[in-house]
Amino acid sequence: MSLILEVENIHTFIGQFHILQGVSVTVPAGSTTVLLGRNGAGKTTTLKSIMGLTPPRKGRVLFNGKPIHGLRPHTIAQMGIGYVPEHRAIFKELTVHENLQIAERKAGDLARKEDFIFELFPDLKRLITLNGGNLSGGQQQMLAVARALVPDNHLLLIDEPSEGLAPVIIEHLMAAITKLAESLSVLLVEQNFRVASKLAQNYVIIEEGQSPLSGTMTDLMKDESLIHRYLGVA
Amino acid sequence: MNTSSRQNALVAAGVIIAVLLLVAYSNSSSMGNFGITVLSGLFQGMLLFLVASGLSIIFGLMDVLNLAQGAYFMMGAYVAYDVQHVGGVVDLTQVIPDPNLRFPLAVLGAILVGGGLGIILERGLLRPLYSRPVFQLVLTFGVSLVMIEIVKLIWTTTPYSWTEGFGVRDSFFILFDQRFSTYRIFVVAMGFALIIGIGLLLRYSRIGLIIRAGVEDGEMVQALGINVRAIFTLVFTLGSAIAAFGGAIAAPFLGASTTLGASSLLQAIAVVVLGGMGSYGGTAIGSLMVGLAISVAQAAAIGTEFAALPSITPMLLLILVLLLRPSGLFGTAR
Amino acid sequence: MQTQSSWTAWMRTNGVYFALLVFLIAFPFILGALTDSSPYGVARGDRMIMRGESVRWQAVFIEVYILAILAMSYNLLFGFTGVISFGHALFFGLAGYILGLMFIDHPDWDNNIAFLVGCVSAVLACGLLGLLMGLVTLRLRGVYFAIFTLAVAEMAFIFFGRLERTNAEDGFAMNQLPLWIDPSQNRLTFYYIALALFAFTFVFIRRLIASPTGAVFQAIRENEDRAQAIGYDTLRYKLFSIAISAMLAGAAGLLQVMLNKKVGPELLSVSYTVDPLLMTLIGGAGTLLGPIIGAAGLHLLEVFFRDSRITLGTTIIEVANIWQFLLGMIFIAAVIVFPYGVMGTWRRWRDSKPKSH
Repeated sequence: MSLILEVENIHTFIGQFHILQGVSVTVPAGSTTVLLGRNGAGKTTTLKSIMGLTPPRKGRVLFNGKPIHGLRPHTIAQMGIGYVPEHRAIFKELTVHENLQIAERKAGDLARKEDFIFELFPDLKRLITLNGGNLSGGQQQMLAVARALVPDNHLLLIDEPSEGLAPVIIEHLMAAITKLAESLSVLLVEQNFRVASKLAQNYVIIEEGQSPLSGTMTDLMKDESLIHRYLGVA
Repeated sequence: MNTSSRQNALVAAGVIIAVLLLVAYSNSSSMGNFGITVLSGLFQGMLLFLVASGLSIIFGLMDVLNLAQGAYFMMGAYVAYDVQHVGGVVDLTQVIPDPNLRFPLAVLGAILVGGGLGIILERGLLRPLYSRPVFQLVLTFGVSLVMIEIVKLIWTTTPYSWTEGFGVRDSFFILFDQRFSTYRIFVVAMGFALIIGIGLLLRYSRIGLIIRAGVEDGEMVQALGINVRAIFTLVFTLGSAIAAFGGAIAAPFLGASTTLGASSLLQAIAVVVLGGMGSYGGTAIGSLMVGLAISVAQAAAIGTEFAALPSITPMLLLILVLLLRPSGLFGTAR
Repeated sequence: MQTQSSWTAWMRTNGVYFALLVFLIAFPFILGALTDSSPYGVARGDRMIMRGESVRWQAVFIEVYILAILAMSYNLLFGFTGVISFGHALFFGLAGYILGLMFIDHPDWDNNIAFLVGCVSAVLACGLLGLLMGLVTLRLRGVYFAIFTLAVAEMAFIFFGRLERTNAEDGFAMNQLPLWIDPSQNRLTFYYIALALFAFTFVFIRRLIASPTGAVFQAIRENEDRAQAIGYDTLRYKLFSIAISAMLAGAAGLLQVMLNKKVGPELLSVSYTVDPLLMTLIGGAGTLLGPIIGAAGLHLLEVFFRDSRITLGTTIIEVANIWQFLLGMIFIAAVIVFPYGVMGTWRRWRDSKPKSH
């Protein structure tokens, strides 16, 4: 089983704060891994470090065996990694169509992926000319995920997709992510354990800037005490 | 910015412009006089737009208030003056005896020098400082001062008034028993063309898309695989080139003097704050308003002891905006 | 025993400053003895003429004190609180104008009274103006305060440059200074007053920075959002910093117009904003000695090189002509490669060395 992503013992500082103190994560190709942990543990920072937005000061990050730590974010993205940040981060002053257009890395990307994207998120087709700012939270989240599907990405980093969304929307989102995970690898950050357990095959627990525990989701589901200890109320 | 506040802003802008026109009209002795004031206002507004557009977009995109924009305007005026007239650093009077032909070259020279200095500033000086925004502001301030000193060294402190007459500059037409300068009309028309042209570029080209997205969230644009830093350099260079262009085409009327730097900068700042930082439409409308306001003040100040009124009008506007609505007409409160 | 050890402790932290102060106090006399000139100037009938090395260098040092006070005021705002102002010249020049106008408007008052009232109202006016400007713009992002001060200072420059009452751009002479402080008659007295103000400013800022208020200033400079999250009303502290800074700058401006006995719009020119900024940067922003080193260093350099020239091949360049340009280049170099200044770099070097036990 090859590993599409290997994060080896990274240390990341924000200002003088030592946020990540030796985090290690692996994502097997073609699977979905979830980062679990309490608020402020360092999950978002881990994604940002992989993406190069807050580069690690120590440690290595390998993408398909190639080192990407220290590279500029746009270079890392071009290698085939898509980032769906917390709070959507879609462009509110741009239309849905423009939001998708700007994600193109090669001419014609959107034309090729259109059908697949609208199959996953039929609402977007209807809203195509609206400004991003006029969409509901759920629609924005779908746009953010759709945007990461436009270019030829092999790995998606998705940060808290279910946050602030109504249950019915979450169901739709989960179905979409499950479908796209058939052709992509996913590294997910998710506080909602129900969503996480349905989507991911593997987990890594991030606690106080470290990664003390990891394993398969099936094993984690059996261990109630573990769930309570690291995740609070499940 | 949602549609209702945008509509409110447009209404407010319309009201302000209407008030300004009314004041100008009541102050004018004749229709011809009124026309002159309006034309002068549009003329100055266009020149302001050339400086302010760069200021606004650069600030929205890069979070840097480029205080050197005014100095580029000044530099453009000096380069154009130098190329056009006899003597100076570049003397083309023998090579190209026809002043009408020399002028486009003068303007081109100004654009090249402005753009060149812009690249140097952005790549050489600003890039190392992206992590320290406080120092970036201080740096652009220092650069503007150094540019003024360089100008003084090359061209002395004596201001130059444009002496070379040439066709377009000197021609005029008569309307309402008043002489209107064709040149001013030409500049205003070209200004409008630029406003629309740049606006179209922003809306329909990929670069424009990236710039609009970058103004909102530069980090996300990077995460999408786009090299924002190259875009920064491009935008910065265009901004400085356009500002220098403004100085060059203003020179036949305003001449070249070292005070152009500070005055154009402060006026441009007033425009950008009034229109809303980072808003292209806001900058366009703001330029019109400030230009008109200065022209009205100039007309009102003739013959009175408030000779300084036109110079301090933009600052008064700035203070007013900061007191009432700091995000400007079309800006988003950030 | 108790008094002795606290004495030595005091000497260790403050000994250098104390020695420097003693030197500066004795300086006019030391120089006078070395160059055989009187620190009081030369008497001509019942007036004094300022002739001689001692009085000449007293003037130079007074200029250094003025610039140092101005730089320290700027450093308090920029170096310690993290607020950029591009209009410090406003306070510097306005104070001088207020004092001058006091003499013009009240020729019938006793000189001493006019002088006192003028000085006090000038300083208070500066503080008030600083407060007002801060109230308008400090709630917004830092860049707004910077451009607001730039705009207001430029406006004042233009306004006073055209005001007929004060002789527009030529300015006017201020001859009504009380005799005891008039530097063209009693330079030594003026020297000691300037020195006293300089020393006071240093001690005051030092105390302020060491106090809890000073700690909040620096917290605001580091990360204002975090300071607010902790619970500080950062706006109030920033306003306090501006008011003090403005008043000190005004005091420096008063000394300047007294020294020159002239008030003119050049006092409001941008160079009186650039100089303290540059001096603070080069000396070390956010340090106590930085602005003093910057002010003394740059001004003494200018005095030494003011009359010299550089020969490049066939062209002779007067240093005086390119001084502003050189200053600008130094400014840019400082921002890019030397942002911590002399004291700042020294401190980082000192703090990076492993501590020996």
